Amino acid sequence: MITEALIASEFISVGLALVLVYLFFKAYRFTRSTYLLGLLIGFSFLASSYIFLGMFLFYGNNAAISESFLWLRLVTQGYGYAFIAFAYYFSGKSEKTTKYFLGLISLFSAISVILFFVALIVAPPFLELPSIGVVDECLRLACLIFLGYIICNLVKHLEQSRKVISGSVWTLLAFSFLWLVQYSLLIWGIDDGQTAFIFAHIARLASLTLFIYIYHSSGRVGSESRKA
Amino acid sequence: MKVGKRSRIQIYFDILRILSEELKNDKPSLTRVAHIANLPYDRFQKCLNTLIQLDMVREQNGKFLVTKKGFEYINEYERINGFLRRMGLLP
Repeated sequence: MITEALIASEFISVGLALVLVYLFFKAYRFTRSTYLLGLLIGFSFLASSYIFLGMFLFYGNNAAISESFLWLRLVTQGYGYAFIAFAYYFSGKSEKTTKYFLGLISLFSAISVILFFVALIVAPPFLELPSIGVVDECLRLACLIFLGYIICNLVKHLEQSRKVISGSVWTLLAFSFLWLVQYSLLIWGIDDGQTAFIFAHIARLASLTLFIYIYHSSGRVGSESRKA
Repeated sequence: MKVGKRSRIQIYFDILRILSEELKNDKPSLTRVAHIANLPYDRFQKCLNTLIQLDMVREQNGKFLVTKKGFEYINEYERINGFLRRMGLLP
């Protein structure tokens, strides 16, 4: 029963993440700011990582298949948060620098994901992959660092703003939830308890829903400020 | 204070917004709109022609009106700008 609910929550997360991909695509099409591509790619990677986690849960009985999905999930999730953090890093930089670095990073990540797919297929006879548990913990720590960077960036942004940007706290809360997701999954990796795993799913759904809420409430802020 | 260069999209938004606000006057002066938008008049004319071609502004009895499409553009710009600002991606 819990597994079915978790699989369902994975697919709800995929839907929410794809809505965010669409919103960032819309923002990119409108503003043509290259750094927004980082968010678009980042949330696409996150959506695919939720699909892979769903598949991992679905094929839980078949160790070989489920482990492959877990590997794919780890890699795509790591790239997802890395791209979102890069987008925040490049948001204040010039367009030329952003285009150059984002192109390089995209090329590097595309090559590494393809190589990883190849490694997964040919790994058993030729290559010895490190233990999934160790990689999982390392990547989770990396995700915590990326999310920590974004949260610090947001706090700095809030402090530097000359006027209070209403609703920015929601963004801070949404990223804090994502940080808690990673932290809970780190705990889950250590103690293998269901509570942390279930909490991670709830926090993730809450954070993705918050991002969509931020977009929809932004229109109201715009028209309110115009009236004022 | 150093002011960043405006993008074309931002300039179109400024013109549409000012034009829609100035329409409350009986007949908004284009020179005044260009002045508030902080644009040289020749550049303003080019932008206005583009907005007319894009069907965001239309001329009626010597008056320049913001069309439904123009208002949609204003709303969408404000929504996306507000969203990016709230996300901490814009100053």
